[in-house]
Amino acid sequence: MENNFNHSQFAHCESGVISTLISSYGLKLSEPMAFGITSTLSFVFIPLVKINGMPLIAYRDLPKNIVKKISKVLNIKMNKKVYSNKEEANDELTSLVNDGNLVGLQTSVFYLPYFPKDMRFHFNAHNLLVYGKENNDYLISDPVFEEEVKCNENELNKARFAKGAFAPKGFIYYPDEIPKDIDFSSIIKKAIKKNAKSMLTPFPFAGVKGMNKLAKKISTLKRNNNDRFLKNYLTHIVRMQEEIGTGGGGFRFLYAAFLSESKQYNLDEKILDEASALLIKSGNTLREFALLCVTASKNLDKFDAKVIAQKLEEASSYEKEAFTLLKKI
Amino acid sequence: MKEIEVPKEENKTLDGMQKVMYTKDSQGDFITENYGSNIEEFATKTAVDEYELLKEEALLDIKNGVSSPICFFMYENRMDLPTLASMVGMFAFRVKRHLQMKHFKKLNEKLLQKYADTFNISIDELRNFKHGK
Repeated sequence: MENNFNHSQFAHCESGVISTLISSYGLKLSEPMAFGITSTLSFVFIPLVKINGMPLIAYRDLPKNIVKKISKVLNIKMNKKVYSNKEEANDELTSLVNDGNLVGLQTSVFYLPYFPKDMRFHFNAHNLLVYGKENNDYLISDPVFEEEVKCNENELNKARFAKGAFAPKGFIYYPDEIPKDIDFSSIIKKAIKKNAKSMLTPFPFAGVKGMNKLAKKISTLKRNNNDRFLKNYLTHIVRMQEEIGTGGGGFRFLYAAFLSESKQYNLDEKILDEASALLIKSGNTLREFALLCVTASKNLDKFDAKVIAQKLEEASSYEKEAFTLLKKI
Repeated sequence: MKEIEVPKEENKTLDGMQKVMYTKDSQGDFITENYGSNIEEFATKTAVDEYELLKEEALLDIKNGVSSPICFFMYENRMDLPTLASMVGMFAFRVKRHLQMKHFKKLNEKLLQKYADTFNISIDELRNFKHGK
């Protein structure tokens, strides 16, 4: 398939890569749309699963969710492949991009040399696009960077075969066939309902209930010769919310943008507007919550668990309202 | 006040890189805009500093003959125990033993090589560990 590739910068890596990838092959798809139609907005708090000794907290669905669902939702034929052999993976990528394909890749941020040093952690689910190769350097469109970047093949191979949680195993994806007539109106409706269902799930560690669970956990935190832990715990929540490519407010602004864009597809505009405004409110409240967490970490004398927990509960109440509305769309 | 404020603060951890977020323009349409947040900066900095602290503690334990150099390099590479175990392809309890000096001393060449490869260093740097050279 011919492509018409243009690098753009996005708020979030996976939705950004899918937006560029699908748009380049002729079906214009914005980042909020890629995020929204795959029902990716989420909240998860699982105290038993630990990352660097901290509980798993996520503000969106699992990594790879967008890549997996987009082909199903839009009926796109997507080639997906994982490898066990580094050399084979590298050779195939080289021949794919030399043939003019745009290829999406899952990588670990830790091994990507063009990332700022302070940002390089063992996060294994960073997505990027490879669009060419010059000598031993791959030409890369990384959605969180302003400009295209280059990366040596040895270093990219390391990033593709990093181990640990969400190990990428050289995962690549590129579309084969993209249908022309797509009924966005019914796709969006379904996706919103699905997202509403997952946000309002009775399961206590996810969605609105999950937010309240975390709030409850925070309200029980006490200062008791554990300053280092408290500081790490509170900033860990903030990092998951603000820093891990969320574009601020834990993906809430991104979803609000999706709801607003959905208005052109013959859906209930009143519900969409109201819900979009509520999610903006939630995003802003989450940012106030992040500020409270950071202020407390800077000076634990001022740490007030109740106040911080209440902020998170406030955000969850807006989301409950928003998704109760959206359920009826 | 704007519906979605875009912070324009300095964030040194990004080292000159600029990120974007969603906000609304004056017509009320969503757009992306560059932002910089010192809330983010502080959170990142705390995570980076934590590894520096863990490294210092490891150095002290190595000096006292309790911990092994693997412990230092694990934190140097911003890993925790499960991550390192997965990288070297061993069970965590086994790797945990190798973090102790008394078990580390008995490690054979092959295992040392595995760790050295993971940390991208030579066996010698691991075996004759001297910090601050």
